[in-house]
Amino acid sequence: MPPALQNPITLWLLLTAALGGIVYAFMRPELRVKATLYGAVLIACGVAIWPPYEWNGQPGKIHLGLDLRGGVHLVLQVVLDDALNATTDDAVNTTRDQATRKGIQVASVLRTAPYSFAIEGIEPARVKDMKDVVRDFFRTGWAVKDAGENRLSVEMTELYQRQLKEQTVQDAIRTLERRINALGVAEPVIAATGNSGDQILVQLPGVTDLEQAKRVIKTTAQLSLKLVESSAGSEQALLEAKGGKVPDNMEMLSGPSDTPGQPTWYLLRKEAMITGRDLKNARVGVDENNRPDVVFSLNATSADKFSRETGRNIGRQLAIVLDGTVYSAPVIQGRLGADNNRITGRFGTQEADDLSKILKAGALPATLKYQQQLTVGPSLGRDSIRSGVMASVAGLAFIVIFMVIYYKLSGVNAVVALTANLLILLAVLAYFQANLTLPGIAGVILTMGVGVDTNVLVFERIREELHHGKTVRAAVANGFDRVLVTIIDTHLTAIIAALFLFTFGTGPIKGFAVTLVIGLAANVFASFFVSKFLFEWVLGKGHVETLSI
Amino acid sequence: MEILKNPHIDFLGKARYFIALSALFIGGGLAVMLSQGLRYGVEFSGGTQLILHFQATPEVDQIRHAVDQVSGGAVIQSYGDPAKNSVLVRVAQEAPENDLDAPARSIREALAKSYGKNPVLESSSEIVGPIVGAELRQKAVYLTVLGLLAQLIYITARFKGGAWGVSAAIAGLHDILISLGFLTLFHYEITLNVIAALLTLVGYSVNDTVVVFDRVRENLGKRRKDPLPSILNDSMNQTLTRTLISNGTTLLAVLGLYLFGGEVLRGFSFTMVIGVLVGTYSTVFIAVPFVNWWYGRGGDASGKTVRAA
Repeated sequence: MPPALQNPITLWLLLTAALGGIVYAFMRPELRVKATLYGAVLIACGVAIWPPYEWNGQPGKIHLGLDLRGGVHLVLQVVLDDALNATTDDAVNTTRDQATRKGIQVASVLRTAPYSFAIEGIEPARVKDMKDVVRDFFRTGWAVKDAGENRLSVEMTELYQRQLKEQTVQDAIRTLERRINALGVAEPVIAATGNSGDQILVQLPGVTDLEQAKRVIKTTAQLSLKLVESSAGSEQALLEAKGGKVPDNMEMLSGPSDTPGQPTWYLLRKEAMITGRDLKNARVGVDENNRPDVVFSLNATSADKFSRETGRNIGRQLAIVLDGTVYSAPVIQGRLGADNNRITGRFGTQEADDLSKILKAGALPATLKYQQQLTVGPSLGRDSIRSGVMASVAGLAFIVIFMVIYYKLSGVNAVVALTANLLILLAVLAYFQANLTLPGIAGVILTMGVGVDTNVLVFERIREELHHGKTVRAAVANGFDRVLVTIIDTHLTAIIAALFLFTFGTGPIKGFAVTLVIGLAANVFASFFVSKFLFEWVLGKGHVETLSI
Repeated sequence: MEILKNPHIDFLGKARYFIALSALFIGGGLAVMLSQGLRYGVEFSGGTQLILHFQATPEVDQIRHAVDQVSGGAVIQSYGDPAKNSVLVRVAQEAPENDLDAPARSIREALAKSYGKNPVLESSSEIVGPIVGAELRQKAVYLTVLGLLAQLIYITARFKGGAWGVSAAIAGLHDILISLGFLTLFHYEITLNVIAALLTLVGYSVNDTVVVFDRVRENLGKRRKDPLPSILNDSMNQTLTRTLISNGTTLLAVLGLYLFGGEVLRGFSFTMVIGVLVGTYSTVFIAVPFVNWWYGRGGDASGKTVRAA
């Protein structure tokens, strides 16, 4: 035997093709068009699902959901106020700058809520000028109101707030995508979820190191390089030196020192020389003491600024601030360029590696909080597949035996229709790369139940018509015609119910709804095209006395 | 082969007994739910649930002893096939937002310390913060009500009469209540999968009702002079074989799922088994009698006033 034929699959395909060819040759010509069409659909479906699971090194076409293959499912809440605060802070700074530029005396500009700020103590003669400046500068998104006593209050419009929130969630999703890709997870799901759309669903199939995944996901990674004004061993010492108050353009942050448990406190310029957005690349390196550090390079525009600013501040300390903690504050030795800048800290190798990945992927626009966390161990998943498949096979075997005993040859027809139904359902799942979940398997079984129902409806109707003395051909035609109305109604009501499950958002249930809807649609094709065609073919053209039903 | 030959059962005549039976079931179910309370799965109640796969046969008592040291009132029971050496541990204790893992971690550490002779090989966990749980619960109720309402509207439009839509929806609601009663009685938890099963069950029940209604609609068109009750009865008898075969096979399929489908789907398949049974029953003894009552209220049972197409 030639080697190609030793492969049972190839052999089986050839035999099927030969059989199909013979059937085709003897088929009445007017049926050939339909036969070709339906055959093509089913063959295409067969190709789409081959191989269904990993086989001979080829990846399986049926994508398994988390519950079947194991992995991590996380729901994170985006703290939207963070993004509003940042935007309002920007507006506050701009307003301050503009007031100075236009020579308007202002006592203070302060944020009053995440979405509003107030300009106070404006010189009385120029309140209107100030108002015009703000209006000019923030044409859209902000509304200025006269609050009396030389005071203006500026508030974000609802529309702008909403846009900003949506933008924040989208940005967070994009950042998470980059970070998770860096982790090398295959087929992750990252999508907005929750009633108000401010939650993010993250599914990482096959991931077992939950801790690392969570660290990489959650770190906000707001990096900034800021000039150090002064530093001290405690908060009080720093405050006393400044007369008990942190100046408006400064902020106070702490970071680890060489003595564990005793942080160093820094007074920093609020304005950052460089932020995470200016980064071009980041990777792990080693410092002069052979400790891991993170090496980063800057993009062209910020490199100029960085070089100018460092040149002007030689001898001063530059703090490297990540998420509100000062990682280190090296002294600027000379003018710094675009490349080979280092973040040293007390990193472990893993830590440095994670940090470089996070910096490369960019900062999150807001803090994330974990709301839900689901891990499925791989062996629990395997058990579930086995049980699910076993239950499906048991159910199908029972249905097949019953239909053939009860409806004889017509029962065989029903089995062909059911097989077509299953084949189309799996092919559509494979084509759209939808995940097959455990409830999805249940959906498959239910689809088989509905498929049987369609056949039973048709067959019972045909029997009834035969009892009423109709000819076989008329009974079959009437059976299909009458039942079609019922099927449209039953399937549409079922689809309406399934559509509500779609909106439930969580993985497994969505999987169930997807299988059910596809299954119902495939069922109509299998029954009203394939099964009906088989009847037409068997009944032939001449007079038929009896029907095996 | 035929299981029934020309059945002539007077379903409507006996409906009152079955309505009483349904009332009994629903009342009993509500009593059970009120006295025991619905058991929510961890995705709705919030908290931490671990499925721990031990190396050797786990001793639940010793595990409970170890877990009690860090978290009182934990639910601990063996899980699934005994050969799998698996134990389910659930604590209601709220998982803190900034460190969702904390309760799970302390349980694992306590087990490693006090029950180290039988190490955990693999653990699956489900940890749900309080916000998500509440949101999901709310959403589940919304979805069920909206789903029923949408089906009611569709059927009303298709059959051109409120009686049809309303009765299908009442039958669906009837099925949900009875299923919830059984779920509580048999100590099943309301999980996301069970909610999916309940929504499917409503779809299935309405589906079954629509098949009979469709036949009624057809008969109403053909037999304009016949009284409505006899048309309803005949329609149910004509579709009886189909009802038995279709629902019987589906019942056996979901029964297979219940028996072989594994632990994760147990609640789901139980709900479906109850649902298929109750859904079939409610078509015959709730939905159709309701239509009969609706159109017979004015003493006119001739069917002339029935506005169905």
